[in-house]
Amino acid sequence: MKIRKLLSLLLALTMLLSVAGVASAETAVTDLPRNETLYFGGQQWGTVNSWNPVGTNQNNAMGTTTNPSGSRTIMFETLYMYNLLDGSMVPLLADGDPVWAEDQTSVTVTLNDAAIWSDGTDVTSADVVRTWEISLQLNNTAGANYSPFIESIEAVDDLTFTINLTTNEAGQPVNPLKVEDFLVATFVAQAAWLDTLEERNNGDTVAMLNDEALDAPYTGPYGPYLSNDQLVAFVRNDNYWGQDESMWGSLPVPKYIAHTIYADNAQTEVAFRQGEIDVGQIFVPNVQDLWEEEGLPVSGYMLEEPYGICLTMPTAWYNLNNPILQDATLRKAIAIAVDYDAIIENAITNQSPTFEEVPRSCMNPTEVEQALYDHEAVADLQWTGNDIEGAIAMLEEAGYVDVDGDGYRETPDGEKITLTAVCPNGWTDWQAAIELVAAAGQNIGIEITTLYPESSTYSTVYSNPNQTEYDIFMQSPDGAGPSQPWGRIRQFMSSDFVGLENNFSGNYGQYSNERIDEILALIPITTDEEELTALYTEAVEIYLTEVPSFSLMYRPQFFHFVNESVWTNFPYQDDGTNIPPTDCTDGYGIAALYNLQLVEG
Amino acid sequence: MKNTIRQVFHSPKFLVGFIIFVAILLLTIIYPIFNPGNPLQQIGLGTFAPPGTYVSLYDAVTTGTSTFRLDDAEANRLAQVLTDDDRISMVNWLTAMDVDVSGLDISDTEALLEVWFANYDSTARPEGMTNAQRNYYVRLNNNLLSMSTAESLTVTQPDDEGEPEEVAEISDTDYVNVNDVANVITLPLGTDNFGRDVLKELVSAIGTSLLIGLVAGCIATFIGLLLGLLSGYVGGVLDDIVMFITNIFTVIPSFVLLILINYSIGQENRGAMVVALVIGLTSWTWTTRSVRSQVISLRNRDHVNLSKLSGHSLVRIVLTDILPYIASYVVMAFILQISSAILSEAQLSLLGLGPKTTEVPTLGLMMNWAMLYSAHLGGKWWAYFPVIGVIALISFSLNLMNTGLDQVFNPTLRD
Repeated sequence: MKIRKLLSLLLALTMLLSVAGVASAETAVTDLPRNETLYFGGQQWGTVNSWNPVGTNQNNAMGTTTNPSGSRTIMFETLYMYNLLDGSMVPLLADGDPVWAEDQTSVTVTLNDAAIWSDGTDVTSADVVRTWEISLQLNNTAGANYSPFIESIEAVDDLTFTINLTTNEAGQPVNPLKVEDFLVATFVAQAAWLDTLEERNNGDTVAMLNDEALDAPYTGPYGPYLSNDQLVAFVRNDNYWGQDESMWGSLPVPKYIAHTIYADNAQTEVAFRQGEIDVGQIFVPNVQDLWEEEGLPVSGYMLEEPYGICLTMPTAWYNLNNPILQDATLRKAIAIAVDYDAIIENAITNQSPTFEEVPRSCMNPTEVEQALYDHEAVADLQWTGNDIEGAIAMLEEAGYVDVDGDGYRETPDGEKITLTAVCPNGWTDWQAAIELVAAAGQNIGIEITTLYPESSTYSTVYSNPNQTEYDIFMQSPDGAGPSQPWGRIRQFMSSDFVGLENNFSGNYGQYSNERIDEILALIPITTDEEELTALYTEAVEIYLTEVPSFSLMYRPQFFHFVNESVWTNFPYQDDGTNIPPTDCTDGYGIAALYNLQLVEG
Repeated sequence: MKNTIRQVFHSPKFLVGFIIFVAILLLTIIYPIFNPGNPLQQIGLGTFAPPGTYVSLYDAVTTGTSTFRLDDAEANRLAQVLTDDDRISMVNWLTAMDVDVSGLDISDTEALLEVWFANYDSTARPEGMTNAQRNYYVRLNNNLLSMSTAESLTVTQPDDEGEPEEVAEISDTDYVNVNDVANVITLPLGTDNFGRDVLKELVSAIGTSLLIGLVAGCIATFIGLLLGLLSGYVGGVLDDIVMFITNIFTVIPSFVLLILINYSIGQENRGAMVVALVIGLTSWTWTTRSVRSQVISLRNRDHVNLSKLSGHSLVRIVLTDILPYIASYVVMAFILQISSAILSEAQLSLLGLGPKTTEVPTLGLMMNWAMLYSAHLGGKWWAYFPVIGVIALISFSLNLMNTGLDQVFNPTLRD
């Protein structure tokens, strides 16, 4: 009897303690003073894996995201910051513009001598050289992306280094634009720390890529503060070199940067509405209702739809591993039958220009890119969608008829057509768009069924060059960057990606065309504008004729919605600051952190 | 038999449940006759059009008009653009910009607008005002500018040379009779996120969900009955084996099992009938157990022993001497199975594990899409509330029928 009493007492005690434990864990999350913390949303999904500036699979959205449209420089810094508003490169760790050799085979960059690491030591050209060497050794993202274009990086003196470009047989650089990508996208890591990294992992590549690297020195204004399964937070480094007059002249305003980890878009939206998120890169259906109907202190970068600058186009890719899809007629028929107006109005609630406003090509809707090709020459090839009759006529003519009487057409050889249209589960706007692609199939008698696997399964399958599971699947090409739209055309059609294992880079549907490969080799070394226009126009012509993939909408690649419950003075269009709407962190968008103010009262 | 049915229909609970159920069933049969067409067709561009009657503006312009002079017409028109809160906000903006507003009567629209248009500057950044607030004033200003003050509007269309040519002049006292307009559409429950007619979709979804319920209920009841009869009547090793399996299935929560099975089937194979099959295959255990215990209490009755002595076969004994005695119980279990299968489908679809979405609407899928498009956060009640109401009504009516039957057949409850 006594033992039983004792046991029940013990049990009660454990339960009490565990409840107390949970309660204290929760208070830890809200510990950060609200008016010193800027909360983000929509970036970090799941817990952080590592803080490794040269690693892979860090799952550290706020700390280690690199991208030629603007790397996220709150912790590690790049040499330059890309400003997608005017295409300029603003010096960060570098001092002044890069100096190109006359024949463009090398470029020299000088570092800002004020720049120091978080451990107090100076940033030197040796750090840049060592980071590049280790990237090659590990073949990480930077190494894989830029080794075809960069021959070597050499230190000239402590603050100066030269990048030598890979050249072709004629002695011309393969692609100088990719080197500009490199300058705005790649983080610099500390040489001494990289030696430590190599030593403690005994030079094992895999171990080095996966090293947690909590001790890595950084140059950026924020360092790691807290990371668990509920929240990741950064704290400001008050010795940040950027407060030097040669850079920002002050520290960024928020002392903490925090990102609560939410389960999905819907949960993030709830937190955003309640003001628990200050700035978020999340898709909110009918976002205008938030301010028009509900009067919340919410706004986007632009006053009107699409509320952000559209730089990319989520695209449905055809999987050419499926022999049925190797017929361009079928590919085009499905593409012209899709009701894009409905996608734009329903799936993304008007947060995109229509294909009447910006006719389809390989270019994003910015004026710079739109001016690159001859609109009239390809006008006959462009389509605005919902052309059911046209699509049916095309199919009938090519011999696609319903032989077995099930209401769906068969191939001219009499083979059954059943296609799957796929995107990750929970990606609301893509799911709705894919539904509309399947509906188009119904309308023209092609059987298309939708499929929403979990995001991790999805990326494993579509990145496999031999997959036959997904016939039509979603993926966005790159948005803005120094090497666009060349890079995007390459992503759409280059045979560089055909057969590539773990292909997260482009041409996921395994399309190949010799002429496109020639054009892609010519564009970077062509300087004559007319010739360039002719090349771009030809590429667009091939893309619209062959239809290896078709874009469903235009989207802001980077965008933000802000809730001004705590912080205000976020960048907005034509506010005179020239800060891009890149979520206050990406590329030159980080300048926004220096302008923030607390809402009065 | 006749007597039993009369008895059943005398139970008020059963009757109410039956009437509700039949009404829902009739709705699914009759409504499509009056409003035919594909329930998944997108009629509207844009998400969540609110319930109401929509009049074609294009047709209304050329429809014959009647003239009405109404006293409050102008006030109503103004109130659409400029609310009392807006007036206070305008004064707040003017005050923030140090404009002298003393002596300004905010109910005097003309005076207010005059001061407003004279001073408002969309690029001004009053101290302490957030971007969201500044945007509000930009929108308000645009609305005020577009507010028509003229007594009539002119509708034009481009002529052969592209010059605007007047088609109609609309005076502020012109009205059209809705019955005269060529195109009027009434959407009693608005549209959903795909721009589909929610009522039409709902009616079709009720049909699908009832069918899923019926199929799943039949499967579950059939398996449950078969295993229960066998293990109860035969007993021995067979009973042990059947009960072993049943117990295993009982301790695994059937909903977890449903999720796992549906997940592994994969979406491309999940039609409405497959989902019904899976639900049926995971929910028979409860029927098995109760049928078995009933059979055990029956199997040593005198008439059963008599049949055995007469050399009747197992099948015949079970069918003629046992089944009739538990039939009423099985019917009640069947009704509950239908109800729970409909709920299971809704729960599964809400998790994104329901039938694939392109073919037929189901109640759960409607809720799933409404949730994905934040209908519940944005106050778009018509996209999900009627669905919830219908699900509740169906299970309510089925449960009511069940309770009614119980009162009639269960001797301990008989009045």
